[in-house]
Amino acid sequence: MDFYLALLQVIGIHALIGLSAYVVILTGQVSLAQAGFFAIGAYVAGMLTVLAGWHLIPALLAAGLVAGAVAFLVGFPALRVKGLMLVVATTAFGEAVRLFFFNFDYQVAKGGVRVGPLGGEGFKQIRFFPENGYTTLDVLVFIWVVVGVVMALLWWMDRSRAGAVLRAVGEDELAAQAMGIDLTAVKVAAMTAGGVIAGFGGAIYAHYTTHIEHFNFGIVLATFAIAYPILGGLSTAFGTVVAVLFIQGLLIEGLRFLGDWRNLLFGALIVLAMNLRPHGLLDAATTLRLRRLFGRGGAGRDA
Amino acid sequence: MTTRHIVTPAMLALALIGLGGTAQAQEREVKITGFGAKSGVVRSFGVNSEAAMLAAADQINKAGGIKLGDGARGKIKVEFFDDRCVAEEGISVLRRIASSEAVVAVGPTCSNVAEPLFGVLQKKFGDASDTGVQMPIYTDVAVKGGLAKISEWAFRNVPSEAVMYDELFKYIKQRRPELKTVFGGVEEDFAHSRATWHAVMKEKFTEAGYQIGGEAKWLLADTNFANQVRDMKRINADIVAISAHPFSSCGVLKEMERQNVKPKLIIGLTSSSSLETMQGCAKQVEGTIIPTSFAPVTPLATAAADATAKFNGSLDLHSGAAWEIMIVLKDLMEKQGVIAKADTVKADREKIRAGLAGLKEHEGLIGKVRRTEDREAIKPFVFVVAKSGKWEVLHAPSM
Amino acid sequence: MMIDFLQSLVDGVLVGTTYSLIGIGFTLIFGVMHKINLSYASASVGGAYCGLLLVGAAGGKSALLVFLMAAAAAGVIGYVVYLTCFRFIPASHPLGTLMSTVGMLLLIDEIVVHATFGVPVAYPPLYEGPSIELGELYIRPDYLMVFAVGIAAMTVLTLLLYRSRLGLATRAVSQQPVAAQLCGIALYRVNAATFVVTGVLGGIAGAMIGASVGMLSPLLVLPLTVKGLIVTVIGGLGSIPGAIVAGLMVGGFENVLQYYRGVTERDLYVMLLLFVFLVFRPGGLFAAKSERN
Repeated sequence: MDFYLALLQVIGIHALIGLSAYVVILTGQVSLAQAGFFAIGAYVAGMLTVLAGWHLIPALLAAGLVAGAVAFLVGFPALRVKGLMLVVATTAFGEAVRLFFFNFDYQVAKGGVRVGPLGGEGFKQIRFFPENGYTTLDVLVFIWVVVGVVMALLWWMDRSRAGAVLRAVGEDELAAQAMGIDLTAVKVAAMTAGGVIAGFGGAIYAHYTTHIEHFNFGIVLATFAIAYPILGGLSTAFGTVVAVLFIQGLLIEGLRFLGDWRNLLFGALIVLAMNLRPHGLLDAATTLRLRRLFGRGGAGRDA
Repeated sequence: MTTRHIVTPAMLALALIGLGGTAQAQEREVKITGFGAKSGVVRSFGVNSEAAMLAAADQINKAGGIKLGDGARGKIKVEFFDDRCVAEEGISVLRRIASSEAVVAVGPTCSNVAEPLFGVLQKKFGDASDTGVQMPIYTDVAVKGGLAKISEWAFRNVPSEAVMYDELFKYIKQRRPELKTVFGGVEEDFAHSRATWHAVMKEKFTEAGYQIGGEAKWLLADTNFANQVRDMKRINADIVAISAHPFSSCGVLKEMERQNVKPKLIIGLTSSSSLETMQGCAKQVEGTIIPTSFAPVTPLATAAADATAKFNGSLDLHSGAAWEIMIVLKDLMEKQGVIAKADTVKADREKIRAGLAGLKEHEGLIGKVRRTEDREAIKPFVFVVAKSGKWEVLHAPSM
Repeated sequence: MMIDFLQSLVDGVLVGTTYSLIGIGFTLIFGVMHKINLSYASASVGGAYCGLLLVGAAGGKSALLVFLMAAAAAGVIGYVVYLTCFRFIPASHPLGTLMSTVGMLLLIDEIVVHATFGVPVAYPPLYEGPSIELGELYIRPDYLMVFAVGIAAMTVLTLLLYRSRLGLATRAVSQQPVAAQLCGIALYRVNAATFVVTGVLGGIAGAMIGASVGMLSPLLVLPLTVKGLIVTVIGGLGSIPGAIVAGLMVGGFENVLQYYRGVTERDLYVMLLLFVFLVFRPGGLFAAKSERN
């Protein structure tokens, strides 16, 4: 049982990084900087609970704020470029953040031992959860409350004008601009929101693993961040969560019984999924059917 | 597309997740679960550890298995999980093992997985306020110094590099007193190699009376070492110590050949005393000396290597440790009276933990292994030298 | 110290030749399909592995044979990549192919890992022995050969693009896919041909890289993918000479920064510089005529 609860924790954390990329992708931008914001969240929250002795909740909020602020600052220059240029520019930024932490030492003596980030050695003993008596279920609830709040906000945003604006920019920038939408403001807002969400994710991640180092925040993580919304489909935020379930639940943990075939199938099944459902596991048509199934709108619109 | 299309895969996924976990026991099975990297560039480590564990279990089972605490006989059942050398996946695997009936976990491969993993464990045994995982882990591979002190549930059977390099440098000092200066090269972004140069080799060289002339750093996946080797050439030290894994070690050795840098002696990292290095650069590595805790120098070690080969693995200092762990666990479980029933799992794990914590020494493949207070091992070792495509034993210091 | 700076620059530029070679493949696919193939570097290294394994299995040892087999194998892989990652995914959906090629990258890597246990394998060198001395500078001849191959590839590709029927069709497809189809050009066949040609080039690149490093390892793939992308955008999307110049530039910058700032900060500055460059010169060095996504 404990294992399933812990797996749901991992899924929650990955859902956060996936959602952070989802917000940005809605505006038509593919950002590989999310792992960088995630790293910032992880280090900030870890330093606040371990070095400053904060409770995790304010530390988490601070992590989201700092990561969001960095995303805001990066957003302005980065969003001047588009498409592949943006992919590479955000990769560069994300890697720069990772390499910053590779070179970042800040240790203080606490109870006879030196704690804090130590460059390539990493930042160890971030043990807020076990030290404060959190059971696996408690941690799970904590994580999913955060995920739930983020999801609820995204769902609400999606139904409001803000969502329509984001999607309009994503679908056709020129038309959106012609409608009087301020492209820069929208894109930077999405980038900032993505940064905040990634910061939350990172904060939880640091406390989940208890030890973080620059290796954890590389291009592989950044790629997964965008993989979730793309694989899941962009029509709702739930698609991203479905994709996280697909990758973390099925491909990584679910296929373990296949032994050596698992790691081969990992890439192959991603290729297959994209061929069978190019617009995502939960694409617009499926979403519509689901809505109709639960009796909410959409009836008759589907040909 | 109907709801069935959504629900069926979801059910299937849930069913699949469960499959790895529970197997119903017909006879009394004693489950020991290994884990480590079987994907990516470190795959060989996981493959070899698994083979060694399977081979050792096979040998134990054929000899009658384990005498359990209630008089019954148990057969060891080995399972092995791949953690891909990723911290989160390692933690998931550990939790999976902790949720199963396995009495002890053996692994992991990577130090960057071991460190978070040990952090997830309960720090002090019996501390009810600490909700960390309570599962004894006995590590075979991850070798970065001093990790077991993170948790009282963590034990390691990895060699102490501090002791090995200390002895090696003294040995060299005595045999070749004309060597005085050292140049160090370190793979700076990998936990193990980095720690070995900065925290072990450097200190031990100084203690042995050597003068450190300089050092050069590079990264795990680097392919261009021209600058570093140029520094090396300029300083022209008698000894060059390379704390790096086979890929970049070979890259540096090849660049040294290109720039015609010929130190009087080259010393390598424990993990590089493997076939990998020979496959990558047998010619350039010639003459390099490395301390290692395994070589087929005793009948026991040779037999174990042959048995492991039958399970398609090769026995080296890392997988050799996995073999030893299985043998130690067998004796320990008999002594501690492990029952290995579904409802005794928690008690069994505590027995094993207590047994390991109380263990002062045990037989290893090439001699007696001593265990320290902080749950680490001091293992016998030999110095090997690269000679025409093979690692040959140069010297076996008496312990 | 001046000489050290120069030597670092020369070494870096020479290593940069390998980045150029990978960059050409990326940029060519982008030029024709306006899509990015993230599995390109892994397919190239995979092809190089195949060359070695095939020739080794046949008991051969000739470096030239290894190179030829690598090129052929990578051409086949290129075609497979086209079929599995592009052919059936709607052209209007660039995110779909981005993701499928990521999956392919992971798959090819893991196949290599399974075939070799992830252990580095020695690759036949183009040249072994000390470097050439040019005044006070040392120059590695094998990288000069890599550079020569890069130039040769550019020449052949330019000829192919501008002097052959396939090239004409390719350019037509790249500019107006629908109109080209209306003119009777088999769109899929032209696209597939592009993947085979870039695949062959990638196989040669992979083999040259294996030969200059002296080893092949899956460790090479990720850095090469990133460098390939960087070179493609700095050189200007779709520009072959741009990719060559950008490769040399990136290599040179990298090594000079390493000389001044050390290896742990090297990539930090490379990435920051790149970020600034892209933001202020989004078209790259050799900007293409129109901005594309």
